[in-house]
Amino acid sequence: MPQVTVTVRDRAGHAATATADYRIAPPVLGGYYLAGNADPTADLAGGNFRSLTQYRSFADGYVLPGYNNTWLTVLGRDGVAVNLVLELKHYGAAGIGPQSFTVDGTGYTVPAPAMTIQQRPGTTWPRAYGYGQVLAGLCDGLFARTLAQYRGLGFPVNIQLASELDTDHEFGTTEAGVAYDWAQSDARAVQAMTYIVNWFKARPLPAGTTFSIGSGGFDRAAWQRTHPEALMARLDFLQWNVYATDPSHTALARFRRTRDWAVADLGPVALSRPVLIAEWGVRVAEFPDQAAWIATVPAAIARLNGERGPRIVRTNYFNSSWGTLNPKARGLAALRAAYATKPYV
Amino acid sequence: MAAPTVTASLNAATYAPGDQMTLTVSYADPDTRALTVTVVVTDAQGNSSAPVRATAVIDPLAITVSDDAGRTWTKLSDTGSVAVYRAVA
Repeated sequence: MPQVTVTVRDRAGHAATATADYRIAPPVLGGYYLAGNADPTADLAGGNFRSLTQYRSFADGYVLPGYNNTWLTVLGRDGVAVNLVLELKHYGAAGIGPQSFTVDGTGYTVPAPAMTIQQRPGTTWPRAYGYGQVLAGLCDGLFARTLAQYRGLGFPVNIQLASELDTDHEFGTTEAGVAYDWAQSDARAVQAMTYIVNWFKARPLPAGTTFSIGSGGFDRAAWQRTHPEALMARLDFLQWNVYATDPSHTALARFRRTRDWAVADLGPVALSRPVLIAEWGVRVAEFPDQAAWIATVPAAIARLNGERGPRIVRTNYFNSSWGTLNPKARGLAALRAAYATKPYV
Repeated sequence: MAAPTVTASLNAATYAPGDQMTLTVSYADPDTRALTVTVVVTDAQGNSSAPVRATAVIDPLAITVSDDAGRTWTKLSDTGSVAVYRAVA
């Protein structure tokens, strides 16, 4: 850590010295995600894209690099920082049943996922491996399978457990016929996330492996509930997602919202962690000129990083769903321009 | 002769490359005194010159700033008790 030393000295040689330490942060990593976990290589070409978000379900037999995803290996080995979102959520409606498989000579049988999440009224509730199932050790085979594939990947990733716990729990969860409200679901998830992180950390991992948990970051109480110091001590990043979906939304205000809650509500361990924005986006319905909004992001990040509190170190644009770039070429050009300016360079 | 005192504080703990860094140095020495000498020359006939004033500081402090990362710190202001320096991250 660099240090500046100040000495004052009088004519007789009496002196006093004071020092101040500081740190020069590397540039913020500008990042991307392309809908459907699709190959983003063409979109990234020619731009200062240094970070990427990917989504995988623990239920998938091909977590890493993913089925036919040789491009991920190429990007990772080229130094693109990968944020790997690993979900207990089961992505498919079909094929939800127990699984039996062998990892490094050890046979595992994992039961069918017993929990429902994202219980929004009027929708089909997705299935997920239950927090109770995790804590009972019933999902250890899923973790072992993922770890074996990860060890063969050839580069370290950040493992983000869950995409958005608040989205998963907002309308409660149900496991094995027992209903849990939002707060109860958060408490159970903290236990399960702790179990999973501890499971991985108890085993040899590729050097540079980091961990975080996923949050949309849209609810202050849930944000606080899911970030206790004991869990944050096991994690390397704070994480939340940022979207502009109302004409009044500015980049500064949207990136600031969850950060301010963190500074006000979280403990010193949590606040010592840098921030990984796994998703950010601007919805074209409210902002027909997405490029103009994107152009305001670098200054917003620079300003927030100049304030007291955790530093934002990666921001991955979510070119899907709310963040879909339309027209794509103009949006990508705006991203390239944004990532070519401070604090991204 | 008393010992001087000094404190140094930066305006941030972490900087992005190219950021402006501000260092505030507060310092003091009980022996330091500012004084003003006023000189009037009077001849034998009692004619006096206009007074001339000169200021001086008794036991002034010299400030040196060094940076182990090699940054150059430039003094922006100095009141005699607070000095402000700038550098580029």
